[in-house]
Amino acid sequence: MSQTATLPASPDTFEDQAAPETKIRSYWQSVGYRLRHDKMTIFFGSIVILIVLAAIFAPLLAPFDPYKESIIGRLKPMGWRNHTLGTDELGRDMLTRLLYGGRVSLLMGIVPVIFATCVGGMLGVIAGFMGGRVNTGIMRTMDVFYAFPSVLLAVAISGAMGGGMLNGMLALTLVFIPPMCRVAETATTQVRSLDFIEAARATGAGTFIIVRHHVLGNVLGPVFIYASSLVSVSILLASGLSFLGLGVRPPTADWGLMLSTLRQSIYVVPVVCALPGLAIFVTSICFNLVSDGLRAAMDVRM
Amino acid sequence: MSRYILQRILYAIPIAFGVSVVCFSLVYLAPGDPLQTVLPPDATAETIEIVKKAYGFDKPLPIQFLIWLGKVVTGDFGMSIATRRPVLDEIIMALSNTGMLAMFAIPTAFTIGFLMGLLAGCFPGKWIDRGVTGTAVFGVSLPNYWLAIVMVIIFAVELSWLPATGMGPKGSAEFSIWRWSDTQFLVLPVITLSMIPIGIISRTTRAAIAEMRNQDFVQTLRAKGLSELAVIRHVIKNALPGVLAVMGLQFGYLLGGSILVETVFTWPGSGFLLSKAIINRDVPVLQGTILTLAIAFVMTNLIIDLLQSMIDPRIRRG
Amino acid sequence: MTKSNSKRFGATVAVAAGLALAVPQANAQGGGTLVIGMTAGDLPITTGNPDQGFEGYRFVGYNLYDTLIGWDLSQGTKAAELRPGLATEWSIDPNNPKRWIFKLRPGVKWHDGCPFNADDVVWNMSRSTNDKAPEFDPNQFAQARAYLTNFAGVEKIDDLTVAMETKTIDSLFQFNMSYVMMVSRCRAQEVKYNWTDYANRPSGTGPYRFDKATPHQRMEMTPNKEYWDTKRIPKQDRLVLVPMPEASTRTAALLSGQVNWIEAPSPDAVARLKSSGMTIVTNPYPHNWTYQLNFVKGPFTDKRVRQAANYALNRSDMKEMLNGLMLEGYSTVPPSTPYYGKPKMYNYDLAKAKALLKEAGCLPCKVTFAISTSGSGQMQPLPMNELVKSNMEEAGFQVTLQTMDWNALLDITRAGVEKFSEIHGINVSRAAQDPFNALVRHVWSAAAAPKGANWGHYKTPEMDKLIGEIMGEFDTAKRNVLLTQMNEMMNEEAALIFVAHDINPRAMSPKVKGFVQAQSWFQDLTPVTVAP
Repeated sequence: MSQTATLPASPDTFEDQAAPETKIRSYWQSVGYRLRHDKMTIFFGSIVILIVLAAIFAPLLAPFDPYKESIIGRLKPMGWRNHTLGTDELGRDMLTRLLYGGRVSLLMGIVPVIFATCVGGMLGVIAGFMGGRVNTGIMRTMDVFYAFPSVLLAVAISGAMGGGMLNGMLALTLVFIPPMCRVAETATTQVRSLDFIEAARATGAGTFIIVRHHVLGNVLGPVFIYASSLVSVSILLASGLSFLGLGVRPPTADWGLMLSTLRQSIYVVPVVCALPGLAIFVTSICFNLVSDGLRAAMDVRM
Repeated sequence: MSRYILQRILYAIPIAFGVSVVCFSLVYLAPGDPLQTVLPPDATAETIEIVKKAYGFDKPLPIQFLIWLGKVVTGDFGMSIATRRPVLDEIIMALSNTGMLAMFAIPTAFTIGFLMGLLAGCFPGKWIDRGVTGTAVFGVSLPNYWLAIVMVIIFAVELSWLPATGMGPKGSAEFSIWRWSDTQFLVLPVITLSMIPIGIISRTTRAAIAEMRNQDFVQTLRAKGLSELAVIRHVIKNALPGVLAVMGLQFGYLLGGSILVETVFTWPGSGFLLSKAIINRDVPVLQGTILTLAIAFVMTNLIIDLLQSMIDPRIRRG
Repeated sequence: MTKSNSKRFGATVAVAAGLALAVPQANAQGGGTLVIGMTAGDLPITTGNPDQGFEGYRFVGYNLYDTLIGWDLSQGTKAAELRPGLATEWSIDPNNPKRWIFKLRPGVKWHDGCPFNADDVVWNMSRSTNDKAPEFDPNQFAQARAYLTNFAGVEKIDDLTVAMETKTIDSLFQFNMSYVMMVSRCRAQEVKYNWTDYANRPSGTGPYRFDKATPHQRMEMTPNKEYWDTKRIPKQDRLVLVPMPEASTRTAALLSGQVNWIEAPSPDAVARLKSSGMTIVTNPYPHNWTYQLNFVKGPFTDKRVRQAANYALNRSDMKEMLNGLMLEGYSTVPPSTPYYGKPKMYNYDLAKAKALLKEAGCLPCKVTFAISTSGSGQMQPLPMNELVKSNMEEAGFQVTLQTMDWNALLDITRAGVEKFSEIHGINVSRAAQDPFNALVRHVWSAAAAPKGANWGHYKTPEMDKLIGEIMGEFDTAKRNVLLTQMNEMMNEEAALIFVAHDINPRAMSPKVKGFVQAQSWFQDLTPVTVAP
C-alpha cells in the first residue's frame, strides 16, 4: 500500500494529511462493499450471530432448567413430552443443555482467541517494530512453544494443571499466542519497511503516532483475519479437551463434555447423543466460512 | 548453502533445550502426587515417603531437571511409574503404532487433497471449485472424534463390517500390514485422521495452483504454444514444494495430535499413551512422551525447511 | 415296572449317563479362548500383589498366584468364605494369641518346577516388608501394605510349617493373609531380583501360567495342568485379558465379537446387549457405595443430620436409573452378609428428613462431597451423585459436588479429614469382603487416616470397645454375633450415608458356558469354556 510521499508543510499540519486517512477509509469502504455482496458470508455470518445470541440469551430461550434431572425421563427421543430434542442421560432437556452448553463452548472458543490476539499481537508488533535483539528474543521464545503441535500442547498444559474450564482456557490461550505473534510480527515487519513509514519519520512524527496510524492500520487486518480463523479451531480444541475430561466438570453443560457422557447411551437414543457433535460442527463450520469471507473481502493483496 | 544448513541445525538446538525445559516443568504444574499409581488406596503417609525415596522424588526440582536432562540425552528416559518398564520402550512402541496410522493417513490425505485442490485450482469459481472448497471446510470443521464415534456405531456395531477397537486381533505385537485381519483395524482410524489433512491440503493446493496459473511464466509457456496439459504439469511442479511442506507439517501434527482419535479407537499409539500418563500422573512417561513428540515435530519442521530451501532458495527463512 | 421295562429303563439311564459323560469330554478338548474386556485402564502388574484395584486380583493375582488362605468361589447363593489355599490349616498358638501357626500344603510346585515350602513363605514376607533385604520390592511394599498393618514377623518351624506374629491380638489377621500373594523365589533369584524382568516371566503356583503380554494391550495365560487343586485346572484353552476402561468401548467390543466377556457394562447398553443375545449375569457381593463422613467439622458431626441425609434418599429411583443394576443400600454390608443382623433401616422418608434437619437447626444444610468421574467399584458415579444431590436438596440440604478423577479422590481418601476439613463426605466405594475391611476400618479410631481407612476420624469409646472384643474373639460364630452388633451400631449411628450395593454385572457371549458367579469381588474362571 504505497503512496507518493508528500512532505507536509509543517509538523503540525501532519495530522491534517488527509491522504492516509482517506486511504484507510476507502479501504474499509471497499471491504464493506465486498462483504455486502458476498451472499455466502452474510448467510453464514447471520447463523453465527444467531448462535451467539442464542447462547447469550439461553436463560430466556431455554424451555427447561439445565440442571433439573428426571429419572423416569432419561434418554427420551426427540419430541417426548415437550422435549423438542429429547433428554440426556440424567433426564435433562437436550435443547436447554445445548443452549447453555453453547455458552461454555463459545466462551472457551472465543475468549482464548481474544486474549491470544491481544497478547500475541502486541508481542508481535513490538518484535516487528523494534527488530534486532528484541525481535530475536521474542520470536525465539515463541519458536519453543511453536515446536509443539497444538493439540499436544493444549492437552499437556491443561492435563498438567488438572483440567477445569479456566485451565483449559489458559492452555488454549498459550497455544494460540505463538502463531498470533508470528502473524503480527510478519505483518509489522512488512509494513515497517514501506515508504510511507520513512516519510512519516522524516516529518519527525513520534514512534507512537507512527505505530498507531500506520502500523496498526495495516497489521490489524491480517491479525483480525487470522484470529477469526482461529475461533473455529479453538472451539474444536476446547470441546476436545472437555471430551477427554480436561475441560469443564459435570454438571456444567458443555458440548464436548456432553458428547463424552452421552457416548455410553448411544445404543438407546443414537440421534440425541449425536446432537452435541452436530452443534460443535455447525458452529465451527460457520465461523470458518465467515472467516474465509472476511479474508476474501479484506485481502486486497497478499 | 551448507552454511545455511548448519545455521538451521544449530538453531534447532536451543529450541530443543527450551522444549525440554517446558516439558519438564509442565508436569510439575500438576496438583496431586505422581505416586498415586503405585500406591493402593489405603497407603499411609509413611508408605508414601518410603516409596517416594525409592523413586527419587525427594530431591529439589532443578537438580531433578539436570539429572533428567542428562539421562535423556543418553537415551535413558527413566522407568514408567505405572508399569515399571523403561519409558523409552513404551514411547518407541507407541510412536511406531501412531506412525503406522500416519503412514496411511498422510498419503491418503495427500492424494485425495491434492487431486481435489488441483481440480479446484484449474477451474476457479466454477461449481467444482465450490464443491471442493466446501468439502475442505467440512473436513476442517468436523470434530474428528465425533466422526470416529459415529463410524464405530455404524460400521462396527450395526453393520459389523469393521472392528471397533484396538490394533489387530492379537494386539500390536503381532500386527502385520500384509494381513487383512490386521489391516482392517486401520481403516476407520485412518479415515477419521485424514479428514483434517485433506481439508488443509486441498485448500493449500487450490490456492497454490490458482496463483501459479496466473503467473507470468505460465503466460510465457502458453505463448510458446504448449498444450494446456503440459502447462498444468509445469504448474504442478512449481506448486508441489509448498504443498509437500504442508503435508510434512500435517505429519508432525498427526504424530502429536492423534490423542482424541486414539482414545475413541483404543489405538495403542502415542496419543493414547499420553492420555493414560495424564490420568495416572505417570511423570516419567509424561515428560518422555511430550519431549519426544515435540522434538519429532521440531525435526520435521527442520527437514521441511531444509528441503524447501534446497528446492527453492528464495524460501529461506532469516 | 415290569422286568423288561426296568431293563430298558436301566439301559436308557446308562446311555444317558454315557452321553452326559461324553459331552464334557468333547468340551475339554476344545475349551476355547476366553477374551475378557476389563474396566482397568491398563494391564495389572504381575509381580505379586497386583494393581488396578481388585480387578487386578480377580484376573491376574488369583490366576497366576495363590495365597496361603483362599476364597471359596464355587457357589453363588451365599457370600464367599475362606478356604485353605497354600496353607491347609491355620490356628493360633494356644500359648500366645498373637502367634499364628500355618501348616503348608505338601507337593505343590511353582510354574518353574521348584517345590513350594516354608522358606518360600518367609522369603515372600520379607520381599514385601524388609527394605534391607535384596529381594525387597518397593512397589510390592506399597501394594501389600494395607494387608500387613498388623504383621510383626514370620519364622519357619519346619519345611511345611510357619509361624506368624501379629502386633496386636487380631482374630481378623487370617482375612488379611487371604490377600497376600506368594511369588516364586526360584524365578526371582533366576532373574537376579530384577523385578522388571520378572514381570515378563512371572512364576506362581496358581491355576494359570503366564504366556505373554503386549504392554497396555493384552495379556495371555494358559492352564496350569499341574495345579495342586485338580478340580480347578482351567477348562478353557487360553485366557486373554484386554484393558478397556470406557464402558462404550467394552460394549462395542462385545457386540462386534472382539471379546466374549466384559466387566461392568453400562446400564444403558444392557437392553441392546440382551437384544443381541448376550447374557447378563449379576449377583450381590460385598460391595458398598456410600459416603464416608467428616466427624471433625461440619454438619455431619450431628447425628440427626446424618440420619436426615439417609432418610432423604430415594434408593429405588436410583435403581431404576441404573436399569435395575444395583441393590438398594441400607447398611454398610449387603443383606447376604452373615453379620447383617437387623440394622435400623433408613427407608425413604422425606418428611422425617426435613423434620430432623429442622430439629438440628441446619437449614439450608450446606455440605460438600468429593466425588470421582469413574473408578473401580464406583459404578456410574456422575448420575448417581446427581440423584443423591437432588434428593438431599429436596430435604433442605445444599449440596456441592467436587468432581475429580479417581486418583485425586484416592489422594484425599488417604490423607484423611485433617487436610481436607472443608469436605464433608467422600464418595468412595469399598470392598466389604471380610470383617476388617467391611466394618472395622471405617470406624476404628486406631485406623484414622492417614494411618488407615477411617477417613472422617469417627471415634466413640463404645465402638472401639466392641472392636477390641471382635479382634479378641477367635471363634467364628461368636465373632459373627459381635460383628452383627457392630453393623447394627453403625446403622444406628448413621456412621455413613448408605446408598447402594453393586451387583457385579457382567455381559458375555452366549458361547461362554460354565461360569458360576460367586458373591465376591473375585471370581473363579477355571470352569468356563467357550463354544466354537
